[in-house]
Amino acid sequence: MKDSDTDGLLGAHSRRTFLKSLGTVAATAATAQVQSVAAELEKINAEKIVGPGAVPVILNVNGKKLTLQLEPRVTLLDALRNYSSFTGAKEGCDRASCGACTVMMDDMPIYSCQKLAIEAQGHEITTVEGLADSGKLSPVQQAFFEKDALMCGYCTPGFVMSVTALLKKNPHPTADDVKHACAGNLCRCGTQPRVLAAALQAAGVAANGTTKTEVISHA
Amino acid sequence: MNAFQYATAQSAESARELAGARGMYIAGGNDLLGLLKDYLVPAPDILVNIKTLPGMNQIQRGDKTWAIGALVTVAEVEDDPDIQETFPGLHEAAAEIASQQIRNVATVGGNLAQHSRCWYFRQRDTVCLKKGGDLCYALNSDNRYHSLFTGNTCISPVVSSLATMFAALDATAVVLRNGQETRMSMNDLYHAAWENPLAHNSLNAGDLVTRVEIPVARGRSTYMQVSDKHTFDWALVSCAAAADVDGGKLSSPRVALGSISPVPHQVEAANAFLDGRTLDDATAAAAADMILAGAKPLEHNGYKMPLAHALIRRALSKLVA
Amino acid sequence: MPSWPSNTKYIGAETQRIDAPQKLTGQARYSSDIQAPGWLYGMILRSNLPAAKIGGINLDKARQIPGIKAAIALGDGERTVHFYGEELAAVAGTTKQACLDALRAIEVDATPLPFVVNETDAKKDDSAQVWQGSPNFSQPSTREKGDVDSAFPKCAAVIEGFYTTPVQIHNPMETHGNTVSWTDDGLTCWASTQGIGGVRDSFAGALQLDQSKVRVITEYMGGGFGAKFNAGVEGILAARLSREAKAPVRLMLTRFDQALAVGNRPSSFQKIKMGALADGTLHAFEMDNYGTAGFAAGGATGGGGSGVELPMPYLYRVPNSRVTQTVVAVNAGSARAFRAPSNPPASYGMESAMDDLAVKLGVDPVEFRLKNDPSPIRQREYAIGVEKFGWKDKYQKPGTSPGIVKIGVGCAGAAWPAGGGSRGTQAEAKIFPDGSVELRLGVQDIGTGTRTVIAVVAAETLGLTPEQITVRVGDTNFPWGPGSGGSTTCPSVSPAVFDVCNNALQQLQTLSGMADVRGDNWSAACKKLGVTPLNVHGQWQPGLSESHACGVQFAEVAVDTETGLVTLKKVVAVHDCGLIIDKLTLESQINGGVIMGMGYALYEERVMDNLSGVVLNPNFETYKLPGIADVPDIDVVLINMPERGVIGIGEPATVPTAAAIGNAVANALGVRVSSLPITPAKVLAALGKVPPAVTT
Repeated sequence: MKDSDTDGLLGAHSRRTFLKSLGTVAATAATAQVQSVAAELEKINAEKIVGPGAVPVILNVNGKKLTLQLEPRVTLLDALRNYSSFTGAKEGCDRASCGACTVMMDDMPIYSCQKLAIEAQGHEITTVEGLADSGKLSPVQQAFFEKDALMCGYCTPGFVMSVTALLKKNPHPTADDVKHACAGNLCRCGTQPRVLAAALQAAGVAANGTTKTEVISHA
Repeated sequence: MNAFQYATAQSAESARELAGARGMYIAGGNDLLGLLKDYLVPAPDILVNIKTLPGMNQIQRGDKTWAIGALVTVAEVEDDPDIQETFPGLHEAAAEIASQQIRNVATVGGNLAQHSRCWYFRQRDTVCLKKGGDLCYALNSDNRYHSLFTGNTCISPVVSSLATMFAALDATAVVLRNGQETRMSMNDLYHAAWENPLAHNSLNAGDLVTRVEIPVARGRSTYMQVSDKHTFDWALVSCAAAADVDGGKLSSPRVALGSISPVPHQVEAANAFLDGRTLDDATAAAAADMILAGAKPLEHNGYKMPLAHALIRRALSKLVA
Repeated sequence: MPSWPSNTKYIGAETQRIDAPQKLTGQARYSSDIQAPGWLYGMILRSNLPAAKIGGINLDKARQIPGIKAAIALGDGERTVHFYGEELAAVAGTTKQACLDALRAIEVDATPLPFVVNETDAKKDDSAQVWQGSPNFSQPSTREKGDVDSAFPKCAAVIEGFYTTPVQIHNPMETHGNTVSWTDDGLTCWASTQGIGGVRDSFAGALQLDQSKVRVITEYMGGGFGAKFNAGVEGILAARLSREAKAPVRLMLTRFDQALAVGNRPSSFQKIKMGALADGTLHAFEMDNYGTAGFAAGGATGGGGSGVELPMPYLYRVPNSRVTQTVVAVNAGSARAFRAPSNPPASYGMESAMDDLAVKLGVDPVEFRLKNDPSPIRQREYAIGVEKFGWKDKYQKPGTSPGIVKIGVGCAGAAWPAGGGSRGTQAEAKIFPDGSVELRLGVQDIGTGTRTVIAVVAAETLGLTPEQITVRVGDTNFPWGPGSGGSTTCPSVSPAVFDVCNNALQQLQTLSGMADVRGDNWSAACKKLGVTPLNVHGQWQPGLSESHACGVQFAEVAVDTETGLVTLKKVVAVHDCGLIIDKLTLESQINGGVIMGMGYALYEERVMDNLSGVVLNPNFETYKLPGIADVPDIDVVLINMPERGVIGIGEPATVPTAAAIGNAVANALGVRVSSLPITPAKVLAALGKVPPAVTT
């Protein structure tokens, strides 16, 4: 991977552009004049142009600091799966339409495929690998396990994240709340009814649905 | 996606300067990254993060006017209890948008500015009229999701749920253009798309939507849509309505339709007709007829006529209920 | 002849999926998760024209993109492309971004050719030809029985209908693809596949390698539904890229690719005429059907069904019938087996015609089926379903449901002739002196719960708990097992596991000198092994599995007659599959089949554009799958038939769903939407509410 070559020089027509060309400069406090320059420099540093080549991107994933070299166009999903080893979030569509890539950014579920890694900096990213506590499944994971709310498992990390995020925000959801929270997660194997049951179980809500199964002996 | 530089703007002026001639702003990024992944727009050389611009991410309540910052997310609009009380239709519109994951990052400004969802526009290998090609494919081929009204040869409809509701609320988008604030009604905001096949809306490169101002004028509002699926599916037709209601009588009513025209579709004559009337089935039907007058159903989208008619009647009934 | 035990603790009960924790915590590694040392990203360039002559493909600029380590063009010199999305070239590089840039730097000299993407157009005399010099459709095949022409006049009621089903895309959540490492030592492939053996053989054949030098591993895979057998063009390309780059290559398809090039369910256009005698027995059946299986079937290729030809008149025996079918080629990707090939469209056409004829006769649709369905198992299933569903209370004459939102009910039956076990299935058991047990089978768990089934049978036989059984599958280094298709995996592995465990018991009894080594005696018996684990072999035995499952499903819908929106409110699915091994995973299979049938009925279709020849919906935005808010309550009734042995369920569960839903909508409206998917647009059209196009 090419090392970062953060050449952001445009033209030298304005004072701002000239100051930008000084690169990263620490602000120092002295006279008011210097302070206004420092403030200006701080602002310019904050507006520093990076890329298009790879630049350092620091991500906080499951409480751990990840320092990666990424082009600005790399998505958070790509960063997790291909530039580090967090393969729990899956790529199902890469177009924000299936939910297999769902992670939590702070407490919000987002599609990591449609979030630039560079923009995930400064946030707490939680993936499915960050939920279990020393090998013990989280209540949501445990409920999925008990209710058989998974089959091939490919959509499962996404659903688990959506349900986990929902219960954090609303510990006592209705069935409609669960459906609203999980509308952005697709499944092809057909786990939807059991995902709903698992979410309600994890919330400690008695499942009101009439879904039932019965075994009849042929004899 | 092609490679791009990236910078975070601290002010609207530097955002514009950083973007320069070939850059683009990135807010939520849902629409933008989708466009870039399929190479649907000329590749920007820089993406300028505008999420840090000051003064744009608040919902400001007022006695006469509310202002919703363009950086307020759709989820924040949906979850705001005061919006639910004062502009219930806006809450309903926000709740219908996409999925929770998208609503969490999608911004009000981005929802308004989003590009066409026409599947020929979105298809990387059909160079349609809107992409500078010679042909509106939809007009001559599969137009099931397309407009009933158009002012030009592109039949891609506006799909922004918020725009449809803002139209019925008589809201104004405040756009920073060349350093000056420009006020645009929803009609103004999409008028360019009505006229010009190349346009998705009336925003020029470098324009920045800063906020949407909503008059506290109509006590009731509602939004509804029908899609093929029950959730996470673009509306086939959407309908927003707002009015003051007193004992079944409408005043200052406005009805707008989405997904059937490049502009949120409103008919002044229909609004005027409804003003002062007590709503009953016949009145609602007559208004719907007026709103749909002049529609040109195509080979595959004629179903939008009865669908729109039903939504208009239901939205009006819901207003007075 | 071996037989299943009758008083069982685990067989027939509920056991949670033993690989659930790995999947739930993100530890499960799918082929798209494999990060082999030094691995490269692979990507394919596809034709953006539906038909073209390719003069040459220039990779020079692509090779210069920083990070690109290999590039391959398919075919030498001139070739002809027959569908939008056909593979042209591939690259491998250190990042996804490098590959994206490299694809855009490949220069293709392409001359567009005439094309046709619509089945009905393709049948016309003046249509563009998919294969130069050949008509697009195969010679129609006709099957006749009795004398249908003199039978119709004798019928008390005759209906005619035209029932159509679209091309359906498999769209598993994990796309097709592999991570392949091809070195001098051999080839290792982590494949997203339903058949590791088939993948091994296709690599060996295509690359001229010894089968013994090819290893395929599929620990986890994200669904296939019939589309993932063999290495595929993408697998062979990944291998060749790996060889050139001297590094492992992970080449996964994009969601876009899935709609174009890796299989689909053929369409059907079924013109049916059917008549019954006054006593309600079917007497005459005539069908004219055509459909497409893509560019490779029909016309010049001489037909070759590919799933286009339907087994009609499906479940029912009609004394006089004539069925004429033809396969139509269009410039689109080829069909592949898709969960119960041919059966869902056959069910849809036949069961729609059954309901239409029942209505014309003025008889209850269930009664009409009971009169004509020869299967005693389905007869029983209808009786159970009628009860559970509340059919007698719910059924109203078509279109008589009051109000704007009309309720309707419908039903349909299924027959799945396969589902038996594969004779060659082998199993290996390793019994350790500390009592731990490992089972190894060269099958794969495609999401159905195969691992768990293995653990359940082993636990039952050995007198242990499923948690005590370590199950390893998905490696061609393990004893041979069949690919997962035809609903045959459970009936293949269960007898093989039963056999190997019984062999283990016998050998352990001998070695330990203990008469019964199961359960509480297990630990002591194993200790007597000393330091040497016991390696036991076993294989599938006859008498423990069978083929042929039935099933009937009932559906209730609410249809908004002003907006056209269809809401599926309830499904009751009554199924048999012989001996139930794990009730929990079995129910999930049935849920899955129903939901897939729901998608087929209400949302799914591959849309081709007549003007440009592209696929218009190569994504999840406009190729629509049922979401959690769309899916109704699904009640499942299982008929346990231990005397029949193990039979598979995957396919029968999806056969009748769309037909039942279609019938329910017709019952609600009093008029039929006879084309899937049943969208609001089609409902409104059927109700006569859609104005004609304005052409000015």
